[in-house]
Amino acid sequence: MIQLFFPLSLRELWEIRSRFPQSRLFAGGTDLFVQRRYQTQDESPLIGLERIQELRTTAWEGDTFTVGAATPIRQLLEDDSVQTLLPVLAQGLACMGGPALRNMATIGGNLCTASPAGDSLPPLYVLGADVVLHSEFGRRSLPIKEFILGPGSTSLRCGEILHSIKISRPPPGSVQWYQKVGQRKANAIAIVSLAVLGRSAPDGGFQSIRLAWGSVGPTVITSREAEACLESSPLTMEKVNSAAQTARQAVAPIDDIRASAEYRRMLSGNLVYRLLR
Amino acid sequence: MRLELGARIPRADGLSKVTGTEPYAVDLYPPNPLWAGAKRAGIPHGLIRGIDNARARSLPGVMRILTSADVPGSNRHGIIHQDMPVLADGKVRHGGDAVALVIAESRAALRQALEAIIVQIDPLPIVAGIDDALDPQSPKVHEERPEGNILVHARIERGKVDQAFESCAAEVSEVFVTPVQAHLFLETENGLAFLAEDGTLEIIASTQAPFRDRFEISRALSIPFEKIRVKAPYLGGGFGGKDGATVQCLLALAALAVPLRWIKMVWEREESMLAGYKRHATRLHYRAGALEDGTLYALDCRLFYDTGAYAHLGGEVLELGMEHAAGPYRIPHARVEGWCLYTNNPIAGAMRAFGVCQVAFAIEQVIDLLAEKLHIDPLDFRLRNALRSGDENLSSLPAADSTGMQACLRQIADHPLWTGRENWKSSASAHTRRGVGIASVFNAMGYGKNVRDSAIARIELMTSGEFMVTSAVADMGQGNASTYAQIAGSILHQNEGQVHVTQPDTAHAYPSGSSSAGRTTYTFGNALFQAAHELRNRILNRGGMMLFTEDDRHLELRPGCIRHAPSGRELPLSRLASLMRPEERVSLAHFVAPVVEPKPGTYEGLRIGFPHLLYAYGAHLAAIEVDLLSGAISVLHYVAVTDGGTVLNPTLFEQQIEGGIAQGMGFALLEDLLIRQGIILNPDLSTYLIPTSLDLPTMETSWVNGSDNSGPLGMKGVGEVAMNGPLPAIANAFAHATGRRIFQGPLHAERVFWTLAGSQCDQEEKR
Repeated sequence: MIQLFFPLSLRELWEIRSRFPQSRLFAGGTDLFVQRRYQTQDESPLIGLERIQELRTTAWEGDTFTVGAATPIRQLLEDDSVQTLLPVLAQGLACMGGPALRNMATIGGNLCTASPAGDSLPPLYVLGADVVLHSEFGRRSLPIKEFILGPGSTSLRCGEILHSIKISRPPPGSVQWYQKVGQRKANAIAIVSLAVLGRSAPDGGFQSIRLAWGSVGPTVITSREAEACLESSPLTMEKVNSAAQTARQAVAPIDDIRASAEYRRMLSGNLVYRLLR
Repeated sequence: MRLELGARIPRADGLSKVTGTEPYAVDLYPPNPLWAGAKRAGIPHGLIRGIDNARARSLPGVMRILTSADVPGSNRHGIIHQDMPVLADGKVRHGGDAVALVIAESRAALRQALEAIIVQIDPLPIVAGIDDALDPQSPKVHEERPEGNILVHARIERGKVDQAFESCAAEVSEVFVTPVQAHLFLETENGLAFLAEDGTLEIIASTQAPFRDRFEISRALSIPFEKIRVKAPYLGGGFGGKDGATVQCLLALAALAVPLRWIKMVWEREESMLAGYKRHATRLHYRAGALEDGTLYALDCRLFYDTGAYAHLGGEVLELGMEHAAGPYRIPHARVEGWCLYTNNPIAGAMRAFGVCQVAFAIEQVIDLLAEKLHIDPLDFRLRNALRSGDENLSSLPAADSTGMQACLRQIADHPLWTGRENWKSSASAHTRRGVGIASVFNAMGYGKNVRDSAIARIELMTSGEFMVTSAVADMGQGNASTYAQIAGSILHQNEGQVHVTQPDTAHAYPSGSSSAGRTTYTFGNALFQAAHELRNRILNRGGMMLFTEDDRHLELRPGCIRHAPSGRELPLSRLASLMRPEERVSLAHFVAPVVEPKPGTYEGLRIGFPHLLYAYGAHLAAIEVDLLSGAISVLHYVAVTDGGTVLNPTLFEQQIEGGIAQGMGFALLEDLLIRQGIILNPDLSTYLIPTSLDLPTMETSWVNGSDNSGPLGMKGVGEVAMNGPLPAIANAFAHATGRRIFQGPLHAERVFWTLAGSQCDQEEKR
């Protein structure tokens, strides 16, 4: 029999954690319970974070959006401010799983799973999000790049939880989009994804641009060099070609059941061509 | 709503299914059941050296662990060939072979015990696929067979093939490859068993063939046939994968070991992938030729079907594929040679479009290629050669009166997506290509020659004044039970809700064939038609006696009563029923589907289920978009025109066609069970993907007018025919869009991408 806890406050959480240091945390459980299906011997207690109200709260303070880590994906998608001000994030979240999964899954869960294929990660990279980590004894904040270390690995310390995510609003008029190639149109793990956040130049090019690729390395891949190729006006086919070529060199994909490394590499560059649309 | 044929009657099982109250076999929990589960080999080929149960047996809650030594009887089951052990004895032939059977007090104890059993297997070299199976040096999957790994080798021939090619102005030669597809029913294989004190064995299972299951269980376990009772509640999907024993023999064996307790077995999804039946992977070598004037003239093909470790219906699947290898066309000179081969892969057996959707992929691309070479429009080319009533088909037999292929094609010819296909092509935006493709499809109906395709229908006027149809043919979701009520109700003039249908129970229903082969509504429905007529006449006669009318003139059945129209007098059916004796209130009738004799000298090695008299036909169109950056194909519009004879219920007809298209699109674009050296690489639903609603296009389904004259209902089964269209139609649309062809399914994004990249390379080389 596996013990399952749903604390209602952080104080209650710290108390349960101290009693069961081997316990595992989840928020939504859409990754953990699938893993557990294959780990029938693992009987460590489970703690669900989704009933702690402060972890499900979202708020704008000036140009900063704070999202509680246990906020369900669907709640974020139904938030007009996310749709209008952070469309790259909204697009990423919208192609996560299917409706049933988005009802349960949380943004913090997606980050802590730290899969390179996680659909919230590339958008949060280009948005330059920070994560806020809490423990019984304090709190700290990190850029998302420093939080995600590798597949399934984060810089969470023992006794620490992901509390919230802080996102700064990009300047008005920014180009934002998320592109995902999966094996099918829903409930599919990304073969390659690309998040884009750019500031347009008056003549159609980009003053600045941020690109982040999912599923083509141990973590999200960024490439300053590829971005730099695009940061001059006007945008020409030659520049996009060189950005795509640079991207193909920057990524570090693997072969798996869904796609070959070589296909992922080609695709990482090809998705850049969508900027020309 | 009056139950009338041709009306859009809502499915009788619709409400209970969408509200979750309809109990499938998997929902049944008798009090305090035991759980049974199989230890699977995990190794595709090897000799069993030992099975160490000691630790598993000592675990709490574990009741019994059985091995082949505990199996009474032949320990072999199978529909045609009894080659499959209930529990592997001596040797394992694929990773899903059951090696031991555990019976436990709980599902948790069962899982622990299965993990604790240690099976020692000395691996043998693996027969990994078609090439290995054809190599005489390869090990034999069934060591006792002198034919080695060839299960069936057969040939169909007409005309003078070799000379005929000399007259051809255009010739095409290609090799096609199709993948293994899984049925992926929502309800995995499962059931319950109970052995009573008097030796009666009761099985409730998710099964398409309750009557035949008794034979399989009886033979494999030496249980007297008459002691076995099988019940088949509504199935949560079957598609052929529950035609033939899955859990039945294992459950029966468990019940023999632990009598007087209900025993439940439910396969996990991964277990279903590993041990359940699959669609045959094939390799198809085609050579075809046409005359200058556009006459299809010669065909020569060799077809290889990988049936995996056991025969199941593999030989019959190959035979049906062969019968359809020429497509729905007249080809005067044709030779089709086929091999069904044993390998150490998962067992391939029956699946919707039973061997046909593979050859449809080949012949329909061949047809397009020939048309292109002759500079003839591909639809005109099809119209010129499509079978008409009376034309000789590949079996050298005249096509039946009900042959609507031409009419289906003509509907497509007039469709705006076809007439406007060049506009569609030029409407592609940046980084995309668009194209339109078509396919002619057909699918035989019924078991074919040498298998009695019969059904016995029973209908009763109950004392309540309502009617009860005793269905003998399982409803796996296609809606036949609902249609039975509609057929009976239309004859007896009753309303929805006044005709009930019981699901098959071998103790109450009468022996009838399986739910398969597009014969489910046809064969039982035609029997029921007669039974309901007989009952109607009987009711009118008895009612006339009660109403003191001279004869049956002016008497009519109405919902719930008999009415004498001129006088307006009515007699409630409940009142009439109370005056009738039980045997009078029951009507039975049987129907045997007509068959056709094969023509001597035109075939060899086809023993069971060849040839067929009746086929459903269809013409399909797919309008697609190819994303050049990723290779992903999106199907944006899909049109299917079907000849299924008389349509009894347009709603159920559309559901069958749309379901066939959806499953066919999975086969076309996504589904590919990857097997390397006998091991499945994608055994779960996160790696083996089927289409979601977002992957499916707008589907337009229609039918052509026509009626089959072999039975009073005029209908033909349409459960399978639509499955055959998507792969070839999409492949042809891809060629229209890009000028490139793909001869291996599925057409998933990466395959498309590299195909297109190859095209660029070719162009560069030419420069």
